[in-house]
Amino acid sequence: MSLTDQLEALLFVADQPAPAKSLASALGVTEGQVEQAIEVLEARLEERGSLRLTKLAGGYQLCTKPEYAVLVANFLKPQRQRLSKSLLEVLAIVAYKQPITMAEIEAVRGVQSDYSVRALVERRLILDVGRKKVPGRPVLYGTSQEFLHQFKLNDLKELPALGVAGAEDDQSATLALFED
Amino acid sequence: MAPRQTLAERNTIAALGVIAPPPIHVTTPTFDGSLAMLFQCVRDHKVQLLDVPLYPICEAYFLYLVNLEDACLDEAAAALAALSYLLERKAWLLLPVEDPEPEIAEMVELPTPTAHEYHLAMESLRMWHEERSQMFFRAPDAGPEPYELPLNLENVSSGDLARALERLLLRAKPEPVRPLGKPRKSLSDQMRIVLHALSESWQSLDDMVEDPFTRSDAVYWFLALLELIRLGQAAAKVEGEAVLFARAKRA
Repeated sequence: MSLTDQLEALLFVADQPAPAKSLASALGVTEGQVEQAIEVLEARLEERGSLRLTKLAGGYQLCTKPEYAVLVANFLKPQRQRLSKSLLEVLAIVAYKQPITMAEIEAVRGVQSDYSVRALVERRLILDVGRKKVPGRPVLYGTSQEFLHQFKLNDLKELPALGVAGAEDDQSATLALFED
Repeated sequence: MAPRQTLAERNTIAALGVIAPPPIHVTTPTFDGSLAMLFQCVRDHKVQLLDVPLYPICEAYFLYLVNLEDACLDEAAAALAALSYLLERKAWLLLPVEDPEPEIAEMVELPTPTAHEYHLAMESLRMWHEERSQMFFRAPDAGPEPYELPLNLENVSSGDLARALERLLLRAKPEPVRPLGKPRKSLSDQMRIVLHALSESWQSLDDMVEDPFTRSDAVYWFLALLELIRLGQAAAKVEGEAVLFARAKRA
């Protein structure tokens, strides 16, 4: 029974991302050995089968390959939860500026945001992470593990840098002008 | 344009009432006629009042007053009313007019401070969410609990902590009826008590709280313990079914 097979067994039963530390502890090996086994398993799964090893939310988890998405969706009939533009905007603000209060979110957006915040809390994408030490002790919001999971992120460092979008767009627009 | 007050023929126009203004003749570059006629023409927008200097008309009125032999106050009042109307209308016309608000051909999008700054982030999130929706995990609904703990307590979930409180509440005695105005218990005092009860060795909340205690006491114990965990003074772990607490080790 190889370490890779053992690792595959653990990941098969894991219902949430398993950190390398937990896997190493369960397998009785070092984290380095786990990382090596993960690489082997990843390559093996890519070669054959319908599963893939994904690194997200600070851990590893098995998931189905995208080419099987329609098949699995037909079987599971999952409820699609689309995020509206306003929800995405609030989520992005929280992701970048966390911990952040409702008033601070509203100051950035310029509109009332209580509905969006409540909707994101209900979807478990953001959560109450404490209270700000200012008069009124307002609730501070931050992103959850579910956020990382839902957006296929390993950690918040993977978020793109802010403000680059506009610059890129401008640049591409200028280039397009010259190309024409 | 010399002011001139002559006896013009009596005008029949009685716009100000039954009493017609006296026959004060007015001669200006743009109008020549009686005061009553000028008044009527201005009212009917037949004369541009801005082009009619009112100073000679006022002077003519004063001359009329000075030379008035048979005092006819009704006529003088009618003339004064006509003159004041003209003065007021002209005064309004001379006042600066505010620029009309420019008409906006199409709805202008209000500047949103986030629109540019978060554009890429939102686009990336939307894309990743789409990508993620193509992947299926084991028990996708079994993600983190709805109320995650703001602190990383390893394998201790909010559900575990809730069960610890539930067990303690089962042992609690009924709450005695207390008189109104009882001073509230301080959480910081309770934290001192809990900190004193915590030791290096792991113990359950049940073991820490000694009988007898009320439901309020149990809640205070629990809240104080949570606050100590938040402050890093206490630690928690799950062992089997039980949640155990201990004083946090100093780094």
